[in-house]
Amino acid sequence: MSEAPPQIRNLAERLIAHETRGNKSSGTRTPAAFPVVEKLRPKLATLIGDAGFRALLSRALARAKAGVPSLRAVQVEADGALRGLAGLEAQADPREIAEGRVVLLAQLLGMLVAFIGEDLTLRLVREVWPKFSLNSLDVSRRQR
Amino acid sequence: MKKPNSAAKRKLPKKAAGPPAKVKIHAMPTGVQGLDEILGGGIPEFSFNIVAGTPGCGKTTMVHQIAFANGTPKKPALFFTVLGEPVLKMLRYQQQFSFFDESKVGKAVRFINLSDVAMDKDLNAVLEEIIREVTAANAGVVVVDSFRTLARKATSDVSSAEVQSFIHRLAQFLTSWEATTFLVGEYTEDEIRDNPLFTMVDGIFWLSQVSERNSVVRKLQIVKMRGQATVPGLHTVRIGAGGVQAFSRTLGLIDKQPHKARRRQLSTGVPELDKMLGGGIVEGDSLLVAGPSGTGKSALATQFIAEGLRRGEAGIMAIFEERPEGYTQRAGSFGLNLKAGEQKGKLEILYLRPLDLSVDETMEAILDAIKRVGAKRLVIDSLVGFEMALAPGFRADFRESLYRMIGALTGAGVTILSTVEVEDSFAALQFSHYAISFLTDDIIRLRYVEIDGQLRKVMVVIKMRGGNHSKDIREYVITDKGVVVIHPRRTDYDGLTTGIPTRTGPRKAQAEEAAPEPKA
Repeated sequence: MSEAPPQIRNLAERLIAHETRGNKSSGTRTPAAFPVVEKLRPKLATLIGDAGFRALLSRALARAKAGVPSLRAVQVEADGALRGLAGLEAQADPREIAEGRVVLLAQLLGMLVAFIGEDLTLRLVREVWPKFSLNSLDVSRRQR
Repeated sequence: MKKPNSAAKRKLPKKAAGPPAKVKIHAMPTGVQGLDEILGGGIPEFSFNIVAGTPGCGKTTMVHQIAFANGTPKKPALFFTVLGEPVLKMLRYQQQFSFFDESKVGKAVRFINLSDVAMDKDLNAVLEEIIREVTAANAGVVVVDSFRTLARKATSDVSSAEVQSFIHRLAQFLTSWEATTFLVGEYTEDEIRDNPLFTMVDGIFWLSQVSERNSVVRKLQIVKMRGQATVPGLHTVRIGAGGVQAFSRTLGLIDKQPHKARRRQLSTGVPELDKMLGGGIVEGDSLLVAGPSGTGKSALATQFIAEGLRRGEAGIMAIFEERPEGYTQRAGSFGLNLKAGEQKGKLEILYLRPLDLSVDETMEAILDAIKRVGAKRLVIDSLVGFEMALAPGFRADFRESLYRMIGALTGAGVTILSTVEVEDSFAALQFSHYAISFLTDDIIRLRYVEIDGQLRKVMVVIKMRGGNHSKDIREYVITDKGVVVIHPRRTDYDGLTTGIPTRTGPRKAQAEEAAPEPKA
């Protein structure tokens, strides 16, 4: 299964870090990886519907599992929410969980870039995190 | 009560005469090239419309163009997708068109998926969701795609009366909210009669694909548009890099002003021919040059354009048989420099030969070029090539469209020289395969004749609507000066028009002569 381009992985890492900082300041103890996906969910569901989001996330998860086997404990529910997080935390190494967070988010963003292009994907991200500093990924140029 | 006297009556301030002003219906631009003109100015604001047709006609692309043309951050266009094309795919494909402005997505143009509501709940929930989103966003344009699948799904759950009630409430809300609405759906023509939706909407945009032999052509009809006079009939539609483009049947020529009563006479570039025409082609005339292959029709057309350029009159050559390089080369061999005219922006040579052209889009290309260079002279070389370049389905419309274009252009003062190839029958003098008198003011016929053991060329002015003309049949040659009329009329032959004349005078001694036409 192909990995997300490094620029997208970098974006995923930065988004997770950004969200983690936000969560720390608000005193939340939830791990950051999946809340980023969770925060994207309503925006994407408005655009493509719950079923559309579920299909997209399921595919991203399937791709991510190839690189991070511990993500096999995670499934996508009918409304697009992720299930099995407790099992994941119980079984997996914290570093592998952190890697899983990045890989899943990078796969999701990578699929969006592949479907609707970098410009529209970054617009979606900006709408969800308006204060997040975001430059062009230039994925298409670097992939050539 | 005291009646006001007549003086008091006279002192009353005068009120504006006439009936009270009618409500002004503002027309929104569609963002679809050619469509505003077909609609009579644009889409009536706050109207409730349906964009219908069979799959692949361009419905979704057309409504995207309308949404992108009119959506603003303050009055956004809301694009509700319902059980139709998945949004990811829609965005993926639509962004390929040049009208798709990514910077508008999410602000001026917003996409909202209603598929889940439509699947899991009922029509009331769908309506509530639309009301909630439209109210929150203060939408100016609303698109529901596909409305057909929404209505079909609902019809399987509830009675048709409930579906009608839903449509009525939806229309009432969206109009009251000052939104202009487009419902998109795949419908068949029979449904226009039977489906009450078509009665309820203000406008019906009907898109279709017409196939004939191997060609398929998209068509648009404005079946209905309340409050506005639209151009009737089927209009050609093409989907290109810029999205949907529509070509009005009237070619936008309805409002062209007629030319002045007194008109100049334009030189053809062949002095003796000008004399035969009584001084030249009357400005604003349509001249047809008919003749078989090799008689110099294109040469004459080139000289006509070159003469215009020499006099500072811009021109357009719409060519369908020969490539532009061939034209400029031939002109060069006659000492005429067409390239200079092109470089100065005074001449455009349009090579229009792709397959499956529609007559309207071809004429649109010619009209656009005429506007660009401010052309006073137009050459169409040839009508036969023009007709052959069209998709088979358009050939039936060819003469009608050509008639409209020629009529409007000559009316606006453009002088047109068209060529048509005819076969010499050596029994009669044909002008064309089709009836042409309605197309032309003037006709020049070129033909081969057998004289003194040679196949020579003669020309005659058959008709000149604007005035008197020479009745002489004149021999001409094509030299390094182009078409040159060489002899006065011949009185020693009868039956020149048949191509096989008979000598009536005494046979003269024939000297061996060099070929008179080095460039032929």
